[in-house]
Amino acid sequence: MKSFNRRKLISASAILAVTALTATAVPANAFSPKSEVGVSQTEIKLGITLPMTGAASPGYNKVPAAMKAYFDYVNANGGVNGRKVTLVVKDDQYVPTQAVAKTNELILKDRVLALVAPLGTANNKAVAASVNPGKRGVPVLFVNTGFSGFADQKKFPTTYAILPSYVMEAKIMAEYIKDNFAGKTIGLVYQDDDFGTDALSGFKSAGVKFAATVGYASGSQSATTAAGWVTKLKAANCDVVILFGVSSATAAGLGTAAALKYAPQWILGSVGGDATTIKASGVPAGVLYNAVGASFLPATTDTSDEYVSLFQSIYSKAVPGSAFDNNVLVGMNSAFVTVQALKAAGANPTRASLLAAIDSKGSTFASAALLPLNYSKTSHVGYNGYWFGKYSPTGDLKPDGGKYTLYTTDSGSGAVVKSTWKRPAMPAKGLPN
Amino acid sequence: MRISHKSRFTTLVGAAALVVASLSAVPAHAAAVGPICDAKVPVQTCQGTTADGAPYVMMVPANFNGMVALYSHGYRYNIDIPAGIPVVGGYKVTNTPEPVPGGNPAVANYFLSQGIAIMGSGFARQGWNLDSAIATNAELIDTFKKKFTKTTKVVAWGSSLGGIITQSLAEKYPTLVNAVAPMCMADNISAELTTAGDFLWGLKTFFDPTIKGGNYSAGAAGNAEALGDIVKVLTVMGKLQAGVATGAWPDSSSATGKALAAAGIPSRSALLLVGLMSGLPTQSAHFDSISGPEGALKLTFPLAVSPALAVLENGANAAILAILATQDVELQAGGSVFDNSTTDYAARVADSSVIYNAALSGNTAVTAMLGALSPANPGAPRAKATAKLTALYATTGKINVPTIMMTGVADPITPAGATQRIIDKYVDQYAAEKEAAQKASYGTTSYQTPKKQLLAIWSVTPKSWTTFDAAGAPVTTAAAAPGTNHCNFTTANYLTVAKFLVDSGKTGTLSWNAAAMTAVRKSKGLLVDPEFRAPLLKFYGE
Repeated sequence: MKSFNRRKLISASAILAVTALTATAVPANAFSPKSEVGVSQTEIKLGITLPMTGAASPGYNKVPAAMKAYFDYVNANGGVNGRKVTLVVKDDQYVPTQAVAKTNELILKDRVLALVAPLGTANNKAVAASVNPGKRGVPVLFVNTGFSGFADQKKFPTTYAILPSYVMEAKIMAEYIKDNFAGKTIGLVYQDDDFGTDALSGFKSAGVKFAATVGYASGSQSATTAAGWVTKLKAANCDVVILFGVSSATAAGLGTAAALKYAPQWILGSVGGDATTIKASGVPAGVLYNAVGASFLPATTDTSDEYVSLFQSIYSKAVPGSAFDNNVLVGMNSAFVTVQALKAAGANPTRASLLAAIDSKGSTFASAALLPLNYSKTSHVGYNGYWFGKYSPTGDLKPDGGKYTLYTTDSGSGAVVKSTWKRPAMPAKGLPN
Repeated sequence: MRISHKSRFTTLVGAAALVVASLSAVPAHAAAVGPICDAKVPVQTCQGTTADGAPYVMMVPANFNGMVALYSHGYRYNIDIPAGIPVVGGYKVTNTPEPVPGGNPAVANYFLSQGIAIMGSGFARQGWNLDSAIATNAELIDTFKKKFTKTTKVVAWGSSLGGIITQSLAEKYPTLVNAVAPMCMADNISAELTTAGDFLWGLKTFFDPTIKGGNYSAGAAGNAEALGDIVKVLTVMGKLQAGVATGAWPDSSSATGKALAAAGIPSRSALLLVGLMSGLPTQSAHFDSISGPEGALKLTFPLAVSPALAVLENGANAAILAILATQDVELQAGGSVFDNSTTDYAARVADSSVIYNAALSGNTAVTAMLGALSPANPGAPRAKATAKLTALYATTGKINVPTIMMTGVADPITPAGATQRIIDKYVDQYAAEKEAAQKASYGTTSYQTPKKQLLAIWSVTPKSWTTFDAAGAPVTTAAAAPGTNHCNFTTANYLTVAKFLVDSGKTGTLSWNAAAMTAVRKSKGLLVDPEFRAPLLKFYGE
């Protein structure tokens, strides 16, 4: 028999609170799974897990406020079929085990209808393996990771990717290199996990030859380890270097290279090119200047874009003083797509009707992205392309020549081609019908 | 005579303790004897042995109401362990009967105070005894009914190995029991030995090639080999613990291990890989894989270190049982039963190597470590032994009577996934029963939805529980967190299960209502929620 000490009693009480709330929400027959959770007469409840505190949080921690800003805007304009949309935010600190615990809280305690925009490859994998939303029929909408595996409907039946996959990104990056840096000596720094494996797969598919490749284990990136990267890249005489890692690795790489007077042409992966995170790590945004970056959304400084203009306006009122950056744009765009999915799910949305709506109508959803969504009954792939540009001295990514040139491909062996897709006009006032 | 005064039950508990002491002297394989009762009030104690020599005890209150609760104890080692062996030295094989979990007086009093008799045997043999224990229990029920003819209801419960004995009893003899409660239920022996074998194989391959890990000799020589393994495994774990921070490998490491060390892969990554491929939880009594000390390690510790420490702690808990159970089952099967020649460890850890990538030191390190795990096939004798092993009773997971399961979500020995598998099977069983009932009712108005008969109670972990001292080192002296360790239940937890068991035994159905919810809530640390899912073990279906 084990006795509880005081601290454990407190912890156990917290669990009991979960149980108590759960119990009151469960009908007398608690032996069969419930449906239509998270939807009341007045509210649709959604949940998100991501790092809100800790070393991995800068940048990402702006996403929930951005999503809420858009949901509140919709709520102020009648909501979704008369219901307001609320977002329960859980801080997973970017730790997979914590993501599992927090996702369980969202499902069991908060009783959300769906998970939306949960962040991180490892965290989403952990949730899929331990919480198993697929088996439970819980929608996992628009995961904030480009790992290509999440589009596997057999393995993740209720999960929808939204970001272009890292495979796609690498293939398109290879095309960009061919067009712009032919004959140059190329080096690659990548994260030695599925994120990097996706990238390696894409580069291999595109036939890119690297003079040097440097893998780093997730979490090992630092100025010290980056000095080792620089030594290897320098030794191979790389004059173009791709940094395909997280932003903290980008910061370590660029900062250390600058200190060591190593100045190749940098090409940054979309994940690692977040100026907000790089600045938060103490590296001046100036190190980004002239580096090549990629995005599938319009530039955040492009106020001529109707989505950027509207979202900026909404966000500045909701979160005064907070910079409108790519994290904000990604978050608001995810919220925008989510609202359309909820509306398409019918007057009384259920988990099943929400999934069916995305399968049947998702490819027609409007969004800020400059590429279409690719959802169907047989595809949970979101966007499928990128444009490239260069960073300004202030760390803003702007398209080459002031014009978006979109490339598109798939996560397989398909060719990289220029996209001819034209984004439809934004719904009036940014409110989907 | 009606017995209700609380203090009198305190006396009862003393009687139970005496019974335990005296029965330890009952010889094994005696002919069926008894029950011989002392006719005491308020509770009489009866003792005897079943035909296979299993000693038993029955405790019957004077106000016996017709219900008896049969308890099956967990795994007991089947060899004496000399003093000097770490942790378990001085253990003597015993078949002392256990009528309630751990002889818990509060639990005994719960039953006896309401007129319910309790009983349990010590079983005829220890070790993995599923087949013989089912037979013993069936005989014991019959013996009790003959002695106490007022008996109308029998409920059965058990822990760990006793859990699967209980479940199997209800599968094989559904008419003998009115309700059952398997707690921290062991998986089928093939699954348990897969975890044990893979874990020992991993330790041997990386950290100490002199560990046998199975294929033990017969007789005393085999005992010595198994005991030697215990010493080696615990020693290597001590060295791994010492090297957690630096990544240093034990000096006993294999050439393969030393090569991995030379490649810069820390020993903690290899240890974690061994845990993951074996199915050990990455949360343990003191390591939640969530918390980090304040400062630079706030994120790094839970990402890169804590999962390995959890495996170390869980492995230390499970290792002795893994060795001795392997030896015992080999003895019964006639040879080695572990065969990983077709095991795809890469597939086994495909998901977890993404989730714990930082702690595993990246994909390149994972590939290198997996490459070093050269599977082996002990050869032809294994096939014969495996055939015998297969012939040992295995649960089908069929639910025949109201069943209450209680399981720790991070139990390192009887994994939560085993319970989840039963739950998943029951979903299919219930669907079939419903369909059959619908078909049977075609053309009539008599359709009734079948009653659900399985209630899963989870012992859940707190939100976080790793604590750190002023220097930032993890504290490992606190009590194990709820939901962790093996069968780590409180008295209140047991009483909650006992209440459901008794109610279900009386009514023949599981009732889930406000009172039941309150009972679970008051028990603390428990969760009943059909939406909760525990991960299945990766080797299911291999």
